Amino acid sequence: MENFFDLVPLVVFVPLVGLLINLFTGKHLGERGVGIVAVGASGIAFLISLLLWLAQVDTGYKPVVVDLPLFSDWISIPADGVEIPWQFRVDTLSVTMMLVVTFVGTIIHLYAVGYMHGDERFPRFFVYMNLFLVFMLILVTGNNFLMMFVGWEGVGLCSYLLIGFWFDKPGGVGWKNSDAARKAFIVNRVGDFGLVLGVLITFWTFGTLDFYKPDELPVAAPHAAEAAEEPVFAPEIPHEAEPHIEGPMGVFNQAEVWLEEGGHDVNFGMFSLSFESTITVITLLFLLGATGKSAQIPLFVWLPDAMAGPTPVSALIHAATMVTAGVYMMVRSNVFYHASDAASFVVALIGATTAIVAGFIAVGQWDIKRVLAYSTISQLGFMVAAVGVGAYAAAMFHLVTHAFFKALLFLGSGSVIHGMEHGHHHMAHGGHDHDDEFDPQDMRYMGGLRHKMPRTYWTYLFGTLALAGIIPFAGFWSKDEILLDALKAGVDDARLEGYLAFVLLVMAAAFTAFYMWRQMALVFYGKPRHAAAEHAEESSNLMVYPLIVLAFFSLVIGVINVPSGFPILGAIFGEHEFTSWLEHAVTYAHAASFNVLLASFAVVLALVAIYVARAIYNDRALETLGQQDPLELDERTEGLFAVAKAKLYWDDAYFRYLIFPYRRAAYWLAEQLDWRFWHDYVHKTVVQKNFHIATEFLTQPVDKGIIDRGFNSLGRLMQIIAQRIRVIQTGYVRTYAWTVLLGTLLVVFIILFPVIRGMLGL
Amino acid sequence: MFQVPSLSDLNVAAALPAVVLALGACVFLVVDLFVPRERKHITAWLTAGGLSVSLVLALLSLTDVVTFGDGEEAFFGMYIADQFTDMVNVIVLVTSLLGVMVAYNYLDRTNMQRGEYYYLLLFTTAGVMFMGAAGDLVVVFVALELLSIPLYILTGFRRPQEQSEESAMKYFLLGAFSSAFLVYGLALVYGATGTSNLREIWQAVDSMVAGDTSAQFLLLTGAGLSLVGLGFKVAAVPFHMWTPDVYQGAPTSVVAYMSVAAKVGGFAALLRVLVAGMPNFMLDNGTSAAWMDVTWLLAAATMIVGNFIAIVQSDLKRLLAYSSIAHAGYILIGVAAAGVPRVADEATQAVLIYLMAYAFTNVGAFSVIIAVERDDASNTGLSSMRGLARTQPLLAAAMAVFMLSLTGIPLTAGFVGKWFVFKAAIAADLIPVAVIGVLTSVLSAYYYLRIVWMMYFEDGDGEAATPRALAWAIGISAIGTLVFGFLPYLLSDMAREITLAFGG
Amino acid sequence: MEDISLVTVVFMLPLVGVFALLFVRNLTDYTVRWLTLIVSLITFGASLLLLRNFDTSVAGLQMVHQWDWIDTGSVTIRYYVGVDGISIWMVLLTTFIMPLAILTSMKTIHERTRLYYVLMLLMEWAMIGVFVAQDLFLFYVFWEVTLVPMYFLIGIWGAEERIYAAIKFFLYTMAGSLLMLLAILWLGNEAGTFTVPEIIEKLNSGELSLSASTGRWLFLAFGIAFAIKVPMWPLHSWLPDAHVQAPTAGSVILAGVLLKMGTYGFVRFNLPMFPEASETFAPYIAVLAVIGIIYGAWVSYGQKDVKKLVAYSSISHLGFVMLGIFALNSAGIQGGILQGVNHGISTGGLFLMVGMLYERRHTKLMSAFGGIWKAMPIYSGISLVIVLSSMGLPGLNGFVGEFTILLGSAGSDVLSWWFTAFAALGIILAAIYMLYMFNTVFMGALDKDENKNLPDLNRYELWTLIPILVMVFAIGLQASFFFDFMDSSVKELVDQVSASAMAAAGR
Repeated sequence: MENFFDLVPLVVFVPLVGLLINLFTGKHLGERGVGIVAVGASGIAFLISLLLWLAQVDTGYKPVVVDLPLFSDWISIPADGVEIPWQFRVDTLSVTMMLVVTFVGTIIHLYAVGYMHGDERFPRFFVYMNLFLVFMLILVTGNNFLMMFVGWEGVGLCSYLLIGFWFDKPGGVGWKNSDAARKAFIVNRVGDFGLVLGVLITFWTFGTLDFYKPDELPVAAPHAAEAAEEPVFAPEIPHEAEPHIEGPMGVFNQAEVWLEEGGHDVNFGMFSLSFESTITVITLLFLLGATGKSAQIPLFVWLPDAMAGPTPVSALIHAATMVTAGVYMMVRSNVFYHASDAASFVVALIGATTAIVAGFIAVGQWDIKRVLAYSTISQLGFMVAAVGVGAYAAAMFHLVTHAFFKALLFLGSGSVIHGMEHGHHHMAHGGHDHDDEFDPQDMRYMGGLRHKMPRTYWTYLFGTLALAGIIPFAGFWSKDEILLDALKAGVDDARLEGYLAFVLLVMAAAFTAFYMWRQMALVFYGKPRHAAAEHAEESSNLMVYPLIVLAFFSLVIGVINVPSGFPILGAIFGEHEFTSWLEHAVTYAHAASFNVLLASFAVVLALVAIYVARAIYNDRALETLGQQDPLELDERTEGLFAVAKAKLYWDDAYFRYLIFPYRRAAYWLAEQLDWRFWHDYVHKTVVQKNFHIATEFLTQPVDKGIIDRGFNSLGRLMQIIAQRIRVIQTGYVRTYAWTVLLGTLLVVFIILFPVIRGMLGL
Repeated sequence: MFQVPSLSDLNVAAALPAVVLALGACVFLVVDLFVPRERKHITAWLTAGGLSVSLVLALLSLTDVVTFGDGEEAFFGMYIADQFTDMVNVIVLVTSLLGVMVAYNYLDRTNMQRGEYYYLLLFTTAGVMFMGAAGDLVVVFVALELLSIPLYILTGFRRPQEQSEESAMKYFLLGAFSSAFLVYGLALVYGATGTSNLREIWQAVDSMVAGDTSAQFLLLTGAGLSLVGLGFKVAAVPFHMWTPDVYQGAPTSVVAYMSVAAKVGGFAALLRVLVAGMPNFMLDNGTSAAWMDVTWLLAAATMIVGNFIAIVQSDLKRLLAYSSIAHAGYILIGVAAAGVPRVADEATQAVLIYLMAYAFTNVGAFSVIIAVERDDASNTGLSSMRGLARTQPLLAAAMAVFMLSLTGIPLTAGFVGKWFVFKAAIAADLIPVAVIGVLTSVLSAYYYLRIVWMMYFEDGDGEAATPRALAWAIGISAIGTLVFGFLPYLLSDMAREITLAFGG
Repeated sequence: MEDISLVTVVFMLPLVGVFALLFVRNLTDYTVRWLTLIVSLITFGASLLLLRNFDTSVAGLQMVHQWDWIDTGSVTIRYYVGVDGISIWMVLLTTFIMPLAILTSMKTIHERTRLYYVLMLLMEWAMIGVFVAQDLFLFYVFWEVTLVPMYFLIGIWGAEERIYAAIKFFLYTMAGSLLMLLAILWLGNEAGTFTVPEIIEKLNSGELSLSASTGRWLFLAFGIAFAIKVPMWPLHSWLPDAHVQAPTAGSVILAGVLLKMGTYGFVRFNLPMFPEASETFAPYIAVLAVIGIIYGAWVSYGQKDVKKLVAYSSISHLGFVMLGIFALNSAGIQGGILQGVNHGISTGGLFLMVGMLYERRHTKLMSAFGGIWKAMPIYSGISLVIVLSSMGLPGLNGFVGEFTILLGSAGSDVLSWWFTAFAALGIILAAIYMLYMFNTVFMGALDKDENKNLPDLNRYELWTLIPILVMVFAIGLQASFFFDFMDSSVKELVDQVSASAMAAAGR
């Protein structure tokens, strides 16, 4: 099955073909045709991923590097050892990502066919969706940082296009969508700024950007022995720190080598740095990139606005796949992060803080999708924190499970919104009083949808439980493992960030359960608070079946990584299957053994949170439209709620202290400094005017004969000459003659000057 | 005891081109008496013929196809017939030919069609030629007068138009004034060296002991005064004020001719006297000729004043007057550069190249003015150029070429001239004056381009009349300007062999 | 005199066209247009042959064609043309841009057609001349000549402020180049030749040696001329006038090729002839470059007029190019050269887009648009790609250039790390102003009636833009192909610079 690996470029190219077909012939294909092409493309990509998976299993999880046929050479400047190819990497990590992306992607494509039904730019939507798959797959399959970066920014572009997909909605909504799209792109660019710098330093440190060279195994990986090849870890590796010499290894192994040698310096043109601190710099810069893409503090602000996009987009890009790219990237670089305690500390802290902050904000949101958005940010926080405490496997595990249940939740919310809009339409036709301020996404208009949309309700329930981390749902396993690893990092390795992360994450977990159940209560329980909810109807099968599939996986996917020592299940599904699978690609992936105390604590905590939520948001809490939130009414919590509702004033701060000043400065620079001052004043006034003054000065005396005034005082003599010449009107002959005379004296004086000086002995 | 020298002793043949022309002038003077008033253009044709013959001879001699007479000296060293002379002849003869062409119809429509015009023009030309060939201070002076006096008359040729007469008067008065300085200067030189023959002066200066201050004193003053006298002819600051008035007052056809011819003569004589006569007249510093500093100072002043004032001019003739002052400055750079012995030849050649380029360009520019000028000498304002590109595309194109050439934009003759002059200046370490030169040419770009934009960017009905002769003149000038621009080696090869240094 | 080389052919073809247009009697405007287009296309074809015959392993000049042009006993001035890794892409860029510029004029230039196209071909001729000339005299000739056609193009077919813009452009750039003229003359006198390879060879062999201070003066004399052309901050004041006032084709040529003459000059003349001075000045130039990057991007964001925004963005992009060149290592210089090409393609493209918009609405104010995407989908889709390439989206040409430049400056031995750090800010700022433009013009609701039924691209416009798209992707995905042509030439250049720097350090 070796040769299956050569299929990997197709993972990228099949969606590419799909999007090209839809781009050029979409208009004529009709919705059905477009849908088949798009879903088909992503489905085939999924099948190829499956094949790659089988091939991996078959070949003993041996990482493989595949060149892009014909065009493998991308950027090459031999003189400086720059050699950046189009190269795909198939290892357990990339295959995992491929499977998740293509599988969830396919399901969401399917759902979208139903959801986007009737949209006038239906084909364009699927062009973008396939384009997204293309870039996302480049991101996860690239074998060097730059190729990863191509995908990295590419998905950013798609997110921009899809958030702004409805840029032409009337009534200012269109503009809001466009702005949201732009915000997303620019905030991501801020992160990319860090990533690029990181990549640059990486290059000059290692002389290459390849993760691993072909036929190179991650060193220090426990299972390396199993693999056929002998480890490339050989002593005859050049040890001098010559960034210009291209190392024989990929960056990660090279790093391993230098790290274990220690006392290794890297010199960048002007200054040199110890290798360890270089790694720290790199990892921190990468972290900045991750905070952008994975919506962590301080760059998380774009994700909630990103909900302006159609719901399938939110599900695929802003929940399941793209936003996890940051986590993937850090796990990919686990060698670096493992090497730098300082960086790990920061990472853990940022992750955990984001988890709790976002969880807190989610409580104060009314928009069904915004709640989910903040929940996504919070969950991503979990993953980042996991990376911080060194639980790379756990991070990936949570990434996978989260992909399923969060996609489920978003699609569910989409189904709800659809139902609400349907109800609103029906109501409008049904001649009910048509109130304008109706927002199909505002949970205050909902309520009691359990009976209107039962299937949506049940699947949504699954998603919620999974997210809340209730055993045996998927979320439980992954979240539990993260908490456990955090605690262990604290207890075993006595790392402060372990404790911090643990505490914060546990609180975040509680918040999660709370806001999710608040949502359940507001959306599905109680009585309809608006006619639209009254007339809401279950969505079409095309939308519901995907929900069911995802719901199923949200229930069971956890078993891929049952912790060791877990009763029964461990025996059935094997222990740490996922972790040991990852270990072939992720050097520092390690398993955690089950701790019944912690597990039960977490579950109980979640249940308590759910109970509290239900207690507060009981059926009588909000019965009619325009009622306030119970937390707002209670003077103990109203302050907090206000803060949460205002998103901690985070966006406002950015606007007031960054965006607004920048814009003002831009106008000032453009209109005042560059135009009024530099262009007009300096060039027109200073240069031109003074130039004219000089001209005038030279013109007056010589041309207009002012000089002769001066000469008048020279004496009567000229009067006589004047008498003579006046006979005929002669302009300024006098003056001219005098000037000639003076000039002559001047010339003679100058030419004689040396001699005179000589004679005077000067 | 004195015996009459034979023609062979005099070696008249060597001076053939000039002699032919001088004789021709006299002959036509007589012939013209019998040409009826209304058929004066016959004289024009005759003149043109004479000029052509002379030009052919000069060209033959310049290109060494034929060598007239034996040896470079005629009239016992009074007349020097070397490559320099030949090139000067070619330049001035071309100018005169063009001068005749532009005059041909112009005189008709402004009813100035009188025979004198042509033979006066011939005399001037002869004067210039003799100046270039001068081997003796006396010749320099006589030739200068032969050049000047007819010009005075031509300036006032537009009788009874007051402006014209007034300018003639002015020109005459100041001309006489400055000639006086020249004579005095030449006399002083004679006093210092005891001879008026340039070769002997050169030897005398060579052997002049550095300590001999009094002689130095005389010689310096002499050099200075000659510089003044000739500087007046070439319109160098501060001896330039007559230029705008005269150019504005004189008939444009005359200006077209004199603006070049006078310069050629003046610079030719200047080079003969200073570069040939006293090249190694150095003071204690002993690297460059004593007259170099003052020359480049004059050059700098001339360029600055000329260019700055040209900017504010609103009358084309006045504008070109100041532009011609400015160009005198650029050429003076070359003269100054010749003060450094090792650069002398290069600089001399540069000056001649510049003059050749300038001849075509400037005559062309004035011819265009003639085309737009009305019979009553009006409509020579800048605004007369408005929209010319639409009404007279070819004329406008030609004018644009001349303007670019005067600015010194590459692929025109003007650039070639500037290139060689500046090159000589740099070679002579006259960096500051070279810098002034380039900066002032940026200024000049401003007013030359303003004419272009009047023609091309602005709308208007610029009217112009281009009868055949004039059209030919403009065409030849334009083509010359471009050809020399595209094939600079034509110019450089012409000047390549030229040297002023006396052998032995 | 060797036999005529392909370079001469490519170089002279446009001139042939000029003569055809000048001397063939009674041509209709229609014929003039197509004749010009065909000539420019033939020239492009010929330049492709240039590419085919190019031997990437040779560092020095190739397809050289020379004969003595002017021989004044003291020095010889040669007609000396040839291409190497540094100039080949510049020539190709020129021959590539010109047909597009002509194509875009087809439907937009109606008055004084013949003059217009004569000037276009003159322009192309002169620009190719600048890039192939290897003799300082020849180079200077064409360097100056490029001013003339552009002066007319702006002055006759430009917008309201055209005369001011034209004259400013002319004087501003001429002022710089005249000092270069003096430097050229000085060098020529010292070296006894004006032929660049010979001068460099004499410098390396020590036959001709410049004192450190002389080298600096000459560097400045050349550098100022080039810096004005680039234009480097703060000498950019002529650019917004010229770019905004010029007709579309004029702006395209200005941004596409003319600005590159400046950066090319630095690589071709300053680096090899004054290596010491280059080392000395590198940090200072880099400072200006970085200021330019940030300043240009920032000011662009403050614009209300699309064309002006694009114009200012050039300052930012050219800042990147300069930074790359003065990193003085292969990555930087090659990146710089390629980024020059990229800027020509993407900014040229942007100007084309603006022109097409202007043709339809006769305004360039961004506020006048919004939601154009809805009205003109094809146009907007293509614009998006060009905008993205201009803001450096990976996989498109802009990114390759910028990244390589940053790579160079990060690894440079003469620039400290923070140049790279600040330059990289440009990545963010570019996104800010570009997306601001794209959002306000193309996205948002299509709420203005006069925009509601704008016609989408016509055939001409489409064919003007397709080549640009092709290049955007080609360079973006296969940059190595383009770098290969530069490798050896640039390597030699870099080695030489560092070698003489060593020597200087030794002294």
